[in-house]
Amino acid sequence: MLTTALICLPLLGALSVFLLPGPRMWVGSLALFFSLAELALWVSSLIRFDFGSARIQFEQQHSWISDLGISYHVGLFGFSLWLVGLTVVVMTAAIAYGLWSGRERANAYYALMLLLLAAIVGVFTAQDLILFYVAYEAMMIPLYVLIGVWGGAGRLRATFKFVAYTMAGSLLMFATIVIYGLSHGFDLATAQQSGSVWLFLGFAAAFAVKAPLFPLHGWLADAYRESPPEVAALLSGVISKVAVFGFLRIALTQFPGPTHDLRSLMLALSAVGLVYGSLLAFRAPDIRGVVAYSSLAQMSLIGLGVFAQNELSLSGSVLQMVNHGLVSAALFLLAGVIELRTSTGALSRLGGMARGRPILASLIISIGVISLAVPGSNAFAGEFLILAGVFQQGWGWAIPGLVAMVLAAMYMLRLVSALLHREVGEAVTKKAPDVLLPELCVIGALLGCMLALSVWPAAISKHSFACLSQPPVTSAGISSQSKAQVGLACVPRAGSTTATTTGTAK
Amino acid sequence: MIAAAAWVCLLAPLAAVLAIALGGNRLPRRAAGYLATGSTVVSFAAAVTALIATLGNSASQRQTVSTAFGLIETHAFKINLNLLVDPLALVMMLVVSGVGSLIIAYSIGYMKGESEQRRYFAYIAFFAFSMLLLVEAANFFVLLVGWGLVGLSSYLLIGFWQERPSAIAAAKKAFIINAVGDAAMALALFLLIQHAHTLDFGGVFGQAVSLGQNSWLINLVAAGLLVGAIAKSAQIPLHTWLPDAMEGPTPVSALIHAATMVTAGVYLIVRAHPLFEQAPHVQQTAAGLGAATLLATGAIALVQTDIKRVIAYSTMSQIGYMFLAAGIGAYSAAMFHLVTHAFFKALLFLAAGVVIHALGGEQDMRKMGGLRRRMPRTFIAMLIGTGALVGLPPLAGFFSKDAILATAVSNGVYGKVLFAAAIAGVLLTALYSFRLLFLVFSGDESELVKKSLPKRKRAEGPRWMTAPVAVLTLLAIGGGWMQVSGLWHPFSSFLEQVAPSFASEPSASREWLLSAVSLVVALGGVWIAWTVYAARTQQAPRAPRALVEKLYFDRTYDLLFYRPAVAVAHRLGSWFERPVIERSGEEIGFGALMGGRFAAAIQSGLARTYVLLVAAGVSVIVLLFLVLR
Repeated sequence: MLTTALICLPLLGALSVFLLPGPRMWVGSLALFFSLAELALWVSSLIRFDFGSARIQFEQQHSWISDLGISYHVGLFGFSLWLVGLTVVVMTAAIAYGLWSGRERANAYYALMLLLLAAIVGVFTAQDLILFYVAYEAMMIPLYVLIGVWGGAGRLRATFKFVAYTMAGSLLMFATIVIYGLSHGFDLATAQQSGSVWLFLGFAAAFAVKAPLFPLHGWLADAYRESPPEVAALLSGVISKVAVFGFLRIALTQFPGPTHDLRSLMLALSAVGLVYGSLLAFRAPDIRGVVAYSSLAQMSLIGLGVFAQNELSLSGSVLQMVNHGLVSAALFLLAGVIELRTSTGALSRLGGMARGRPILASLIISIGVISLAVPGSNAFAGEFLILAGVFQQGWGWAIPGLVAMVLAAMYMLRLVSALLHREVGEAVTKKAPDVLLPELCVIGALLGCMLALSVWPAAISKHSFACLSQPPVTSAGISSQSKAQVGLACVPRAGSTTATTTGTAK
Repeated sequence: MIAAAAWVCLLAPLAAVLAIALGGNRLPRRAAGYLATGSTVVSFAAAVTALIATLGNSASQRQTVSTAFGLIETHAFKINLNLLVDPLALVMMLVVSGVGSLIIAYSIGYMKGESEQRRYFAYIAFFAFSMLLLVEAANFFVLLVGWGLVGLSSYLLIGFWQERPSAIAAAKKAFIINAVGDAAMALALFLLIQHAHTLDFGGVFGQAVSLGQNSWLINLVAAGLLVGAIAKSAQIPLHTWLPDAMEGPTPVSALIHAATMVTAGVYLIVRAHPLFEQAPHVQQTAAGLGAATLLATGAIALVQTDIKRVIAYSTMSQIGYMFLAAGIGAYSAAMFHLVTHAFFKALLFLAAGVVIHALGGEQDMRKMGGLRRRMPRTFIAMLIGTGALVGLPPLAGFFSKDAILATAVSNGVYGKVLFAAAIAGVLLTALYSFRLLFLVFSGDESELVKKSLPKRKRAEGPRWMTAPVAVLTLLAIGGGWMQVSGLWHPFSSFLEQVAPSFASEPSASREWLLSAVSLVVALGGVWIAWTVYAARTQQAPRAPRALVEKLYFDRTYDLLFYRPAVAVAHRLGSWFERPVIERSGEEIGFGALMGGRFAAAIQSGLARTYVLLVAAGVSVIVLLFLVLR
């Protein structure tokens, strides 16, 4: 019931926001109220969640198209709970930021944001492939509109590219779902595993476009540059996680054989993307460019963790998904804050903003160093776990990760200095104020989440995969068994007590 | 009791950071300085309490581990946030909080009138917290966290004067070189996780011998830790950031870049000695790098003209001695020199800070001179600090440096080579440090001095500055007497439980003989410096170009790493990302547009056409899959 409530509350919100007449402020406030209510709902589900259990929780199932075995089947696992939490937090921040910056056509805007929220929660909770696909598509449509209507000067081109890429991915995924579902069943909890490499690739390509993974990131720079800041925050903070969730929930669990066979390919793409994104971020000429390519690098790092597929790297990946979601959302909102004051994001025209703006400087420096994963930050904890796991999969894969640690320091410090230090840039006027209270509340709340996770990263890393306690573990360390089998064990399958060990090609 | 003291010691500076950060503008500027100083004094008191309580235990029970909670946890693996209080940690805690509180108190005077004092004191208190976390850590992960956070606070403080491009560049350089060290350490930690299944010091060191069975493994682990150590301690070849780091305020140079943070590498080798002892080649490399560093940086110090840079090169050179000692297994000698060095090097920096403060920020020694009469007390402090650095009896450096020399010569052929380097280093030390002293204090008063110090003006700064200098002067005089060869050795017996020396101990008579030799060498150096820079009977030789160019390290790195990275990044952007990746997207978009026009043409408005088309499209894809499966 709780899961359905999590999906329906924002839907209800979208409807009422759309219909409410009145000034922009009221409409935005109502939307913010709904997202805060959603946040409260999520907190209550967090409190009631049983992290010791490996089963789907808050599960609900109603038959939908019974002939094909398609049903409305939703529920939460440990890791999806955290991703829903990330979504709700970032969305609340995005709506609050939108309210502050006063978006035009408020009814449509906030209704679309809430619709997007419902769809993302739907993707993270869906336990049926058709339901998953419906939610996935429902997520894309508001995004197209949000970028295309409320975006910057080059929004049409950006939207066009974004649509082209994601539609191609979606169609491929739909076809794959149909073929897979007809033969193996649509319900993820009971569907049989498949050994088909082509079906695996069908899913993988769709998710790789969305993440994005190298070299399918052609839409990234434009979309992140031209979206409104809060939509860019959602795109890189949350939507990209949907893709990784897809890998975790569908590609890895339903296709253990192909995952195993193609592991080297996926690890290699991730490793290349990690270094490639870091290098491009180092030369990007504007704030959003740096953040966009650093997002590509970070998503590739998470990709490494997912495909290394052992308990350290998978736990680290979930932690890092939440970390990166918070960090990149905060960075895009900061980019918005700066663009609002200087009407440019070009680093060559910015600089010297630290003087007289202590709050802006503190926010940029703290979020910047968290983003470059300074030891002690939540991002470092995630990165450390991922790379420790990847290292066990094959030490060579961890080397690009270590190189990227140094590159991350290079590009983030370059960004921080270009904004705050040096001489005052031509676009920075004396009058440009420090961060104002509403902006501080929004970005400060995100920073607060990051700091809390820095102090206790185990909150997520320990509470993501309950099932992992079940495979036999030798002594205090990591057993060799848990290395290979984690991918199967981590998402338990209702009705079968023991996970199938190898993919059965059907 | 001990555990509570350890937590108080750690968290007091963090509380000060939070108070300053949350206080914002409501907090008076001076209050920030008092908060930061007060919190480190609390830390020092807590460290003393822990010391007394620990001394109450018998020698074999002087280790206390206190666990807070699971910091990083998965179901099969756990890293706790835990603190370790043992003699080694206690020595470091006392140095960090003791010298730290003196230097932070000094900054209250030094930073007076600075508009961003709150930021400064917040940063420096954050440094104290990070450094205490580093030395109190009971496992490698927490150590690495402290390691990274001291690097962060170092970055923030070097770049404290944000409008100076050189300061910002220096800050970035320091951070990035240390990021290389962090990455190498992380690699060592991954190996330990994989093979030892734990990162707790006790657990890892207990398995050191079995890990040592695999020589590749143990060598890689030790090498990873060593790279981290040389990056943090500015040893060759990762030393280039430290001279530039002098862009920060002088108290920062004293605290971070002389007394505490840069010696963390020595602490790490001593702490992880069970691992290093299993990897003797790596440990000997550490000693060799230390010897190379002490010679090279001592030589470069001879030609520097910036007063702080001379002291910075001197710091690297002295840490070279500590690496040398730790590398041959003389851990207590290394730690002893670390402690006395913290006293006299902090003293030198703070005294230099008094001079710079009085001369309105001027750091070029060529513009100084004749300050002896105008700043007599600072002159005496500087003289004592310099004497201690050179190793003149009965000052602190005499005892600690000679312990290292004597141990080196007693350890085989390699030890004798190291000894030769070390004794040459003594000559260099005497030369460059007395050159500094004579250039600044002797001779006639320079134009600058006359201009910035009109008669009768109080030149030596407020009491907040002079008092810490006085205390450190006393420590530089008396600090060495806690251990006198052949007479008493409470320091090394205190450390014996944690880091038993495995180098062969020299006899007391040999040690005294070597002391005499090094004293003669040092006095020779002082005499040369006197003739050239004070009496000026000899002309100073022209500085060799290689030394002025700092042995070409900066240029080489620029050529080998920075420029290629920039070039590759640039080419990737202009040759691959834009033409291939981004354009291909446009091609796809264009294709979609054409497809759209085609689609528009077949929009007949008949539902069954649509259904047919959709069905046809899907079935093509389905067929494709069935065929390819």
